[in-house]
Amino acid sequence: MKSRVFLVVFILLALAAGALLFVPAERATAESDAAARAASVEAAHRAHLPPTQGSGLYQYDLPVGRRFDAAQVFDPAPPPFEPAPNGLREYTLVIQEDVEHEVAPGIKLPAWTFNRTVPGPVLRATEGDTVRITVVNNGSLPHTIHFHGIHPANMDGVFELIPPGGEYTYEFVARPYGIMPYHCHSMPTSQHIHNGLYGMLIIDPKGGRKPMRELAMVMSAFDLDRDGEADFYAWNGRAFQYTDHPIELKRGEPVRMYVMNIFEEAMVPHMHGTLYQLYPSGTSLTPTEYTDVKTLNIAERAILEFSYDFPGTYMFQCHVTEHMEQGLMGWFKVVDEKTEARSHH
Amino acid sequence: MPVLLLAGILYLLFARGTGLELEAPAPIEKVEFERVVLQPGRIAAHVINTGPEPVTIAQVQVGWLNRASWQFEVAPDPTIPRLGRATVTIPYPWTPGEPYEVVLITTNGLLFTHDIEVAQETPTPGGGLLGTFALLGVYVGVIPVFLGILWLPFLRRLPPRAYYFLLSLTAGLLVFLGVDALEDALENAARVPGPFQGVALILIGLSLSLLGLYAISSWLKQKRQAASKAGQETSLSTPLLLAYTIAFGIGVHNLGEGLAIGGAYALGEFATTLLLIVGFMVHNLTEGIAVVAPVVRSEFKWIHLLWLGLLAGAPTIAGTLLGAFAYTAVWAVLFLAIGAGAVFQVVIEITRHMNRQGGSPLVFSGPSVAGFALGLAVMYVTALFVTV
Repeated sequence: MKSRVFLVVFILLALAAGALLFVPAERATAESDAAARAASVEAAHRAHLPPTQGSGLYQYDLPVGRRFDAAQVFDPAPPPFEPAPNGLREYTLVIQEDVEHEVAPGIKLPAWTFNRTVPGPVLRATEGDTVRITVVNNGSLPHTIHFHGIHPANMDGVFELIPPGGEYTYEFVARPYGIMPYHCHSMPTSQHIHNGLYGMLIIDPKGGRKPMRELAMVMSAFDLDRDGEADFYAWNGRAFQYTDHPIELKRGEPVRMYVMNIFEEAMVPHMHGTLYQLYPSGTSLTPTEYTDVKTLNIAERAILEFSYDFPGTYMFQCHVTEHMEQGLMGWFKVVDEKTEARSHH
Repeated sequence: MPVLLLAGILYLLFARGTGLELEAPAPIEKVEFERVVLQPGRIAAHVINTGPEPVTIAQVQVGWLNRASWQFEVAPDPTIPRLGRATVTIPYPWTPGEPYEVVLITTNGLLFTHDIEVAQETPTPGGGLLGTFALLGVYVGVIPVFLGILWLPFLRRLPPRAYYFLLSLTAGLLVFLGVDALEDALENAARVPGPFQGVALILIGLSLSLLGLYAISSWLKQKRQAASKAGQETSLSTPLLLAYTIAFGIGVHNLGEGLAIGGAYALGEFATTLLLIVGFMVHNLTEGIAVVAPVVRSEFKWIHLLWLGLLAGAPTIAGTLLGAFAYTAVWAVLFLAIGAGAVFQVVIEITRHMNRQGGSPLVFSGPSVAGFALGLAVMYVTALFVTV
């Protein structure tokens, strides 16, 4: 008899608890209502993000203390076009390993460098000049410099390794005109290039190009954990440096950008708010295309000429969104000369 | 004296060097993720520095198809001392159902990554969800145990020799549960941050619960013996005491099950959550039988059944709540190990009980062995519902 009582009590208990279960189910349905969700996301965005800034991507809203110092920014201006004394252009490049390089604000890597910068300095010569480059190897590994261009075999920087502590002088006649990459070709070359031993040599046609405001930009990337996937991409060696410190341009001013891709992925330099005249490899004086995207494959380079019709802040980026989001973006701040002049007086 | 000598030797070692190059060629840093909380428009990563040196978080990237550098804040400070904790808050407009990757990059360029398999808002302890998870605990833990207890009238009608068969069956169920809990504990131990030594936590939880329960039950027995010597009647008979011990062991075990359910939900593994709910419900039906098996042939006040059921089932509620709102691998490992220890202690207790009744001929009799085997088999089959 007693056991019957348990039975009834327990079945009732179980049923009551079971009935309760339908209550949260209804609540859950209400919560998954799409409109309610969208509203809550929007509210959260308002709470966490400044209303005028559409994204939390850190470059839109720089956190204090996480910018590059202005002194560290790689000057985008190449050396000016000028005749070499006696037609001889001389440079000295000192190779060092484990130079601290801040690749993104706060992140310092041991880089291998020409003259302590990544990329190395922009070299410039005029077609027909004799270029004499003394390379001092202050590293612990053999290094070389391999120049793209037309030159004798022993000036190609592949077989003549410069031992640690050694020195070597490369001498050749600059030709043809265009943008010629230079980089270490010591094996493993992948490591020597990745670690920072690369740069740009600009060879001007005799008499030079039409004078303009000039910028030199090397596109490269950095794989911090050596997993074969780059972690930061950069204009001139530092991710986001030209968003931290925008490049000022004048409205209507013609601009020439020497751009080179030295990473092992295709890159797509893209200007916002304007299009550019494209001179592939810079080896012609006639543009081949008027566009705003041009895929630069590995070690490919180009001259881009453009100007801005309207003042304001414009992004210049690599159109590979991953590259952009990991550092290959910057700002052009286009100012109206007249407005500026007025505000000064 | 030996301590002084050791100190002297250590001094010499540090003063003169070990003769080995102990300066690491690359910085050794380790940051581990304890919990990642997703709120609309925001990802918060709770991390701990388990490396030998302080670590400074310099950049954060959030990966969807590709990674993007993102704005972030670190509280209390981007520099985290050894074994220190910090919360990295990232105002990222994640969308539900998408996979993400959170990457912290230190000043030395080391990357620490956490995968969010399926993004889903992390439950926060609000009234509604709290109720839902408590109810889930009732659903998974309490109800099935009571449903199992409902077998009692049927069990009472079984012939006397079936009693030992039932006890052995219970032992079989419990051994399975214990091993199961240990396996889960080991699995979670892999996720415990290094310095907290997941496997050592298992050892500590397991041995402390085993010995602790043993101490409590012998203390209770002594008390009862003293009382019966004094000629007093006690309400706790040996079988009832055994039933309570079993209920306690199962209770701690169910806490672990609750943690698994809540934890799976908190980690966004919804398919697993559902599977666990259904599976544990079926699984736990058998636990009711285990609880009442010792008292099948004895008289007791029926209110004890209520307490037994609650003791065995109610900890599931605590488990689901803890798991959903405060899941960390350290707690999961500790509770699972305690549960396993409790369950093993109960098996020992049952064996001793049977040994006292009939010695080893009874313990190893046909029905006992068959019961034990059936217990394992039942658990194996019901566990098919939970195993992913």
